[in-house]
Amino acid sequence: MTETEGLVKRIPNDIGGLPAERVEQVDHEMEPWEKRCHALADVLDFHKIINTEEKRCGVEALGAEMVGKLSYYERWIVAFANILFRKGILTPTEVALKMKEVEARWPKD
Amino acid sequence: MSGADHHHDHHDHAEIGASGRPGYYDMLETAVRELLVEKKLIGPDEIRRQIEVLDSRTPALGAKVVARAWVDRDFRARLLADGRAACEREFGITFYDDTELIVLENTEKVHNLIVCTLCSCYPRPVLGLPPDWYKLKPYRARAVSEPRAVLAEFGTILPDDVEVRVSDSTAVVRYLVLPMRPKGTEHYTEEQLAAVVTRDTMIGVVPVGIPSERAAS
Repeated sequence: MTETEGLVKRIPNDIGGLPAERVEQVDHEMEPWEKRCHALADVLDFHKIINTEEKRCGVEALGAEMVGKLSYYERWIVAFANILFRKGILTPTEVALKMKEVEARWPKD
Repeated sequence: MSGADHHHDHHDHAEIGASGRPGYYDMLETAVRELLVEKKLIGPDEIRRQIEVLDSRTPALGAKVVARAWVDRDFRARLLADGRAACEREFGITFYDDTELIVLENTEKVHNLIVCTLCSCYPRPVLGLPPDWYKLKPYRARAVSEPRAVLAEFGTILPDDVEVRVSDSTAVVRYLVLPMRPKGTEHYTEEQLAAVVTRDTMIGVVPVGIPSERAAS
């Protein structure tokens, strides 16, 4: 199998059976925003706005670099924003303006 | 894919600055959530209520189900026939993510292990949220191709004549391992049995152990 053939046959998430390092039994206490992000995913699913499959596809669509560099819930929230943009539910401008508003609630560092 | 997807989930939590200002992704979550509430696509209280649901799901729930299956043969049969129905009807556990649950019974001859190679599907209604290692590349990649080596990394060495079965979860079908009841627990109550069942035993990476002083008594 050529190198590019592998890219075609395996989407970034499809790692079952690949060689990998030793399993380190890592875990961390969830950050409050991570828990909100998880709850948001469930609520979006309840309302049939984004289901589990769409969420996974949305994460895959971030591409290998982002999938590799962002943490688990960072990937989720970015994927949700992209999916909501694609569905025409939110616009990038709305989100950018709302983020400014959110940021302004806190004193500058 | 070029070795992506490892070591980035156990972070450096630089989420909150000196002023207490949240990080970028934290603010993105807040922005998306507030916009969805403003557009009345989700209710203002739904996220908080779902966090309460998530907080109520821990491995202690799965442990109760396992302990019941050990002491009640008929319940075990119902659980193995339809995991979700048995948990819903007999424990009142709601499947908020609308997933099916297949319970896999470990025996002297068969050892089950669960994984989600594509992402992080997990029996959340009965175990809560998965640990980070379950979501990271080494476990997801290797559990299906070299399960005995992975089990050994958890300290679990199985005899060669025990068949290892690995079940790969999907968005709609989730698995739970029904571990073997350990020897020396014949006199345990159902509650005492539930107390020795841990998360990792229901993922299938370790067998159920009992505290040695109790085993000796």
